[in-house]
Amino acid sequence: MLPWNYGFHFGAASYIFLGAFYTVLIVVATTIINALWRARRDLSKGKVEDIRWHSDFHDLSAADRSCRHVLTGEFTSRECPHAFDCRECATHAKLIALHPLAQAAEAEEDIFGMSFPLDRMYHRGHTWARPEADGTVTVGLDDLGARLLGTPDAVDLPGLGSHVHANGTAFRIHRREADVRILSPVDGEVVETGGVDRGFFLRVKPLNGLMDMRHLLRDAEVKPWLMRELERLQLALTMEGASVPSLADGGVPVSDIAAAYPKTDWDAVCGEMFLEP
Amino acid sequence: MANHMFQQIDKEFITRGVRRCSTPRFILWLVPWVALLLFGAYSAGLCLVKGLNQTNMDNRYAFGLWIFVDLTIIALGAGAFFTGFLLYILKFKELKAVINSAVVIGLVCYSGAMAALMVDVGQPLRAWFTFWYPNVHSMLTEVTFCISCYLTVLLIEYLPIVLKNRKLRDVPGFLVFEFELHKLIYVLAGVGTFLSFFHQGSLGGLYGVLRGRPFAFREGIFVWPSTFFLFIISAAAVGPSFLICTTWLVEKITGKRLAKDRVFDLLARISGILLSVYVLAKTIDTLIWINRTSPGLGFTASQYYDWKPFGTWILFAEIVLCGLVPALILLTPRLRARRAWLIPAAALACCGIALNRYVQTVQTLALPTLSFDKFLSYTPSWQEVGTFLGVLAYGVLVYSFSFRYFQIFPEERELKIEVRPQQEEEPVLAGRF
Amino acid sequence: MIAENKKTPAARYGMTIDVDRCNGCGSCMVACAVENNVPPAAAGATDRTGLTWIRVFKIDNGAEGADRRSAFVPVLCQHCGKDAPCVSVCPQQAVDVDPATGIVGQMPERCLGCRYCMAACPYHARYFNWWDPAWPAGMEKTLNPDVAPRMRGVVEKCNFCHGRWHAAKAQAVANGKTEIDPADYIPACVEACPNGAIHFGNLNDPATETARAAHQPDSFRMLESLGTDPKIYYHSKKNWVREISAAPRPGTAKETARG
Repeated sequence: MLPWNYGFHFGAASYIFLGAFYTVLIVVATTIINALWRARRDLSKGKVEDIRWHSDFHDLSAADRSCRHVLTGEFTSRECPHAFDCRECATHAKLIALHPLAQAAEAEEDIFGMSFPLDRMYHRGHTWARPEADGTVTVGLDDLGARLLGTPDAVDLPGLGSHVHANGTAFRIHRREADVRILSPVDGEVVETGGVDRGFFLRVKPLNGLMDMRHLLRDAEVKPWLMRELERLQLALTMEGASVPSLADGGVPVSDIAAAYPKTDWDAVCGEMFLEP
Repeated sequence: MANHMFQQIDKEFITRGVRRCSTPRFILWLVPWVALLLFGAYSAGLCLVKGLNQTNMDNRYAFGLWIFVDLTIIALGAGAFFTGFLLYILKFKELKAVINSAVVIGLVCYSGAMAALMVDVGQPLRAWFTFWYPNVHSMLTEVTFCISCYLTVLLIEYLPIVLKNRKLRDVPGFLVFEFELHKLIYVLAGVGTFLSFFHQGSLGGLYGVLRGRPFAFREGIFVWPSTFFLFIISAAAVGPSFLICTTWLVEKITGKRLAKDRVFDLLARISGILLSVYVLAKTIDTLIWINRTSPGLGFTASQYYDWKPFGTWILFAEIVLCGLVPALILLTPRLRARRAWLIPAAALACCGIALNRYVQTVQTLALPTLSFDKFLSYTPSWQEVGTFLGVLAYGVLVYSFSFRYFQIFPEERELKIEVRPQQEEEPVLAGRF
Repeated sequence: MIAENKKTPAARYGMTIDVDRCNGCGSCMVACAVENNVPPAAAGATDRTGLTWIRVFKIDNGAEGADRRSAFVPVLCQHCGKDAPCVSVCPQQAVDVDPATGIVGQMPERCLGCRYCMAACPYHARYFNWWDPAWPAGMEKTLNPDVAPRMRGVVEKCNFCHGRWHAAKAQAVANGKTEIDPADYIPACVEACPNGAIHFGNLNDPATETARAAHQPDSFRMLESLGTDPKIYYHSKKNWVREISAAPRPGTAKETARG
């Protein structure tokens, strides 16, 4: 290998062989170092939650990644290229400018026996965000989310003053064997924490005065989305071994769905529904 | 109480939404393999401490069971590089379903072979000599360089699978590193493919260059004997077949469906096509060898097959029975769609490649070269067999742990629904829409 | 190992072995072991337990009864002159051919013990140290100080008594000569043969007995057809003996005596 080694001689074969070997070593080392360096950069820039979501999103089944404009029928099929962050999406901006969303009828607040008030916007991870009069935004679990988790055994809420990011973890809920992270619908600083009994979980203050909520579902989008979610729930329940198909009153999800399916892998069902595969 | 806590911890590491056996059952499954591994470690330890006199190899039968095993498992582990190549370079998206399994199998095969090689050499501590004083004309140098590089690549490719574990990815550093590494995985797949092509080939060249062993010697192109190319094709052909066999075996053991039929079908098709190319190339190579190469060295080819038990049947078994027959089955859509045909065909293809490696290593050494010499035979000692069994147990253990805690088959969750008997009751929530 | 003095014309050391003169006494094997510090093998040693750099095969003509004839063939490293199979295969250049002498050398201190060279050698002339070398108590006093014993786990083989080559070289230098006096460099086996069956010398020097003997009509080389240009020439007036140089014919091979 080295000129002072006994038996050393340079020939074309040595050049080719050692050249290829070192190229491979350099490529492999560069790849690793590059990945480490990028990881360090991500950590220092606080992109962990963003990456966690992107990684989760990547693992969702193709059907679960469909664009919101598929829900409204503008596309027959389209996979979201922005991990559900429509704020970055040019297509969404164009479409929303072309066809502003119709106001949903007031009666639609009650969808399949569940309450989805239209005074707020919905995140696809079953949370809602409601702008409050004081400029803050309250964040809570939507009705389906609440029914899925029933009365939580424990809730890990973020500390006051900490920041949450849209599609990042807002808080964690434990219920029976289920342990899921709940995605935050908005960016902001936590100014108050609530709980199940208070009707909301977080009250957040916009980070720079303005709360961008373009990526959240609203009005006429909610019903088709929920239809799809119930389909997904049915599928998830079947997949996770729900053997008793009765949902108390003829199909309306009961207030505590988990209790109705004692033998089901509830962690998996919740993972599916809260977009944490 | 402690037991319960242990089970709880165990459960937290299992991928969400997949069913795994209970902790005690898993431990029960591990026990025999751990015992075998310990026995293997003891055997290998004897060989390392007391020397290779613990084996039954001798001065005339200098390579034995281990070399045969190394060559075979590296060929079978070729699924790792070839699947990676098909998925990341040629974009066969369906193969995503088995790529993790292929990486684990590759890792097991390569690290197992490496471990066996370390026991096999007389002075393992001098292994670095090959890197320091490389003889670039030796096939073994090429093998050593490529296998150690590729093992590194496989370890790096295995890393995202491990870090993707549900519990481990809670650690921000792991999560972020896995994410960034996964984005660059195609680079590693490319490097892995390059390395694999060369070392599968140089493993073939290992015997093909042996001018002093006319049974193994082959003419070739440039510096590479024909076996160089035959080994590449055969390894690429049998890698997918071995994946079919292992996936099927894991399905049988766990009672789950792990990959869709179309994945099996695709693997079978790829295997079938490559296997038929291999059979054709091998046939041509054999004819050239019988009619030109071997007589050119003063050895008529028929004499090799006069030494019992290595009659011409071995040639027939290698090329027709374990080559052409599985290739035809794998190429016939109607046959490969049925497990009863697919699995035996894939297994037969694997056996064919094992037989080829056996012929290359064991038969080559058994045949005499000097006219007054006799046919040599050798039976592995229990230490050799023990070391081999240890490698086997190691493989099973790594695979078992990987299967339990990591997402080896991403389609497993989707397929869960299909094994359950269709329920008679009205589907959930049906009345509503 | 490469000869320091590049000015001397390259030698091509080789041997001629007269099979007709060999009576299988094994003196060469003993002398070789003593000279090269090969540990003594126990009685009944096999290829696993014993080690020798030169092996005397007993061959016969395959006939039965009164027609049966037998002969002894000493086989050592044939020092292939062209494309030596063992040289190119060694992954770490532990095998080399000295261009000044044509001797195929083995460097045990660089050997990994992979035994690839042994698989490559058609003559089975390479030997692996399966065991730690051991000498019976007291016998270590007879060790040759000019030759390093080899450790367990490395390959060794005949190097035409390299210690003697060094001694001859030193002698030549002491005498103010650049070339070795042929009388100073004689391998131990040649010296030990009671029947004078083995001759050693520079094949490039037509004056030597060896070079002359090599070109006699009854001379042959083992497995010449492999094209490796071995430098050990055998000699026999018997046709059936000369036939052994060819490739093996199954059925004609009989049991083998291992010296």
